[in-house]
Amino acid sequence: MIPVEYYVALSAILFTIGGIGFLVRRNVLVTLMSIEIMLNAVNVAFVAFNRNRTDAHTGQIFGFFLIAAEAAEVAVGLAIVLSLFRVRRTVRSDEADLLKN
Amino acid sequence: MALAFILSPLLVIAAGGMLLMLAEAFAKPGRRGGLALGATMIFAAGFAFSIGVWMYGVEDVPERAMLAPWLQIDRFTIFFDAVLCLGGALAALLAGGYLPEHELERGEFYVLLLFATVGAMMLAAAGDVLIVFLGLETMSIGAYAITAFRRTSPRSAEGALKYFLLGAFAAALLLYGFALLYGATGHTDLAGIGEAVKKGGEKTPMMMIALVLVLVGLLFKVSAVPFHMWTPDAYEGAPTPATTYMAAVVKAGGFAMLLRVLLTCFGDKASMSWAAGWPPALAWIAVITMTVANLVAGQQESVKRMLAYSSIAHAGYLLVGVVACMHSPSQGVSSVLFYLLTYTVSTAGAFGALIYCGSRGKEAVTYEDLAGIGRRHPPAALAFSLFLISLAGLPPTAGFFGKWFVFRAAIDSGFYALTVVAFLNSVIGVYYYLRVMVFMYMREPAAGAPVATPMRSGYVTAALLLSAILVILLGIVPNQSLDMAIKAASVFGG
Repeated sequence: MIPVEYYVALSAILFTIGGIGFLVRRNVLVTLMSIEIMLNAVNVAFVAFNRNRTDAHTGQIFGFFLIAAEAAEVAVGLAIVLSLFRVRRTVRSDEADLLKN
Repeated sequence: MALAFILSPLLVIAAGGMLLMLAEAFAKPGRRGGLALGATMIFAAGFAFSIGVWMYGVEDVPERAMLAPWLQIDRFTIFFDAVLCLGGALAALLAGGYLPEHELERGEFYVLLLFATVGAMMLAAAGDVLIVFLGLETMSIGAYAITAFRRTSPRSAEGALKYFLLGAFAAALLLYGFALLYGATGHTDLAGIGEAVKKGGEKTPMMMIALVLVLVGLLFKVSAVPFHMWTPDAYEGAPTPATTYMAAVVKAGGFAMLLRVLLTCFGDKASMSWAAGWPPALAWIAVITMTVANLVAGQQESVKRMLAYSSIAHAGYLLVGVVACMHSPSQGVSSVLFYLLTYTVSTAGAFGALIYCGSRGKEAVTYEDLAGIGRRHPPAALAFSLFLISLAGLPPTAGFFGKWFVFRAAIDSGFYALTVVAFLNSVIGVYYYLRVMVFMYMREPAAGAPVATPMRSGYVTAALLLSAILVILLGIVPNQSLDMAIKAASVFGG
């Protein structure tokens, strides 16, 4: 059996990749994907930690809720990206610069 | 029955939202003016039920245990329910005037307001990180959508995009923090995490990382500096009623979540100590938030953006109250609760006055737009001045007592330096609030410049009247609502 620590390490690596992607990339679609990777890391962590608690399935149930709620969130996010694309013809966050101090 | 009764504020808003959605679908185009009234009535019903539950008392209802640990219905929750419904009602009234005027009248705005408020109420009642997460998403998704509501405007889309990306990022940080807390303690209910943290003694590295991630996520949501980058853009890009909603309800929901999570999970002696806990970090963030926001607010040309920075500065004052929880949780929390109540009515009024001052094609955006409005439209200028005075914290308005109790909580806890910084900051604040009044009363518009013309709308007038009455009442007789805040804060003991 693979020890829990391996999964936790995997989730930490995924979370870091997602975080770096979010901070570095300027294409909004890639940024959205980075956020999804971070949330998947959260899922992996919750399910992995559930191994230590075989009496309850809280972590795994959390995973289901997370997947459902994130689907809703991404739907709204993509709609916002689409409406930006319709008026500005761009999906790059550095070209969305109308609002400044 | 008793169960449905203590949940009634939440249920009324949720059921009302669904009914309103049906009504919107079957309403004939052009006859949707009643939706704003409907939404306001639902918020008013939610408010009335909160007051009813408050009067009845929730301590002796045995069915409360059935909801544990998921939902915690206590006086803290009920107090927040009332404040959130009040903020929602004001936003719905303002939308009722603003949306038709600017040809944005689509019924889903009101529905989104109601559903987002359900999320905020869940945050106030959350007893488990799962509920925190669900409430947060319900609130945020609604807020993203109403920010992007003006679909043809690039500014609206841009503000919503920044809000969405940083909001989702913050949610991811918060969730990873929760996942690590679950790993470290084996609990997802806040009370269970709190017990385990208390027993754990020395902090493990995993626990420290979890605390940092949770703190950063929470501070993003209440828009504290340096996690505030999205706030001015989202506030400026959004239609003004949506901005009002974000400044009043979303901010109150964020603070409800912050207080619940921090004081329940990290409410033990060690985590609340100055040497090894979160108070010093929050104190520094409060100082930076107030100072940066006030200095930048003074340099804005757009009144709406100035009010956005002012809402960040108010988050800083509120954080001072949160830091004061270190020595006396009940006093700190009660000052934060009372401040949120006064801030909700003042900021909703200020944005409402800004809406009132402009009509279609003649919107009030910059300071110059407001020049001379004191002479041309005295009622509009008078209302605006009242709310600005309240935001600045001058007597005899609600804002004065809000600041007074937060500062007193900080002094009683021995944070003298922090109180002085907060006080100096509110003096800076007076400068840019008064600047608006100088333009309204002492300047005349330049020849040929576009002049803002106040709109005609019963809804907006009603919202302004309601908030004006509350601002003055809370500024003259704050006793009763303060007693309620103190009672609500006693949930956290000490």
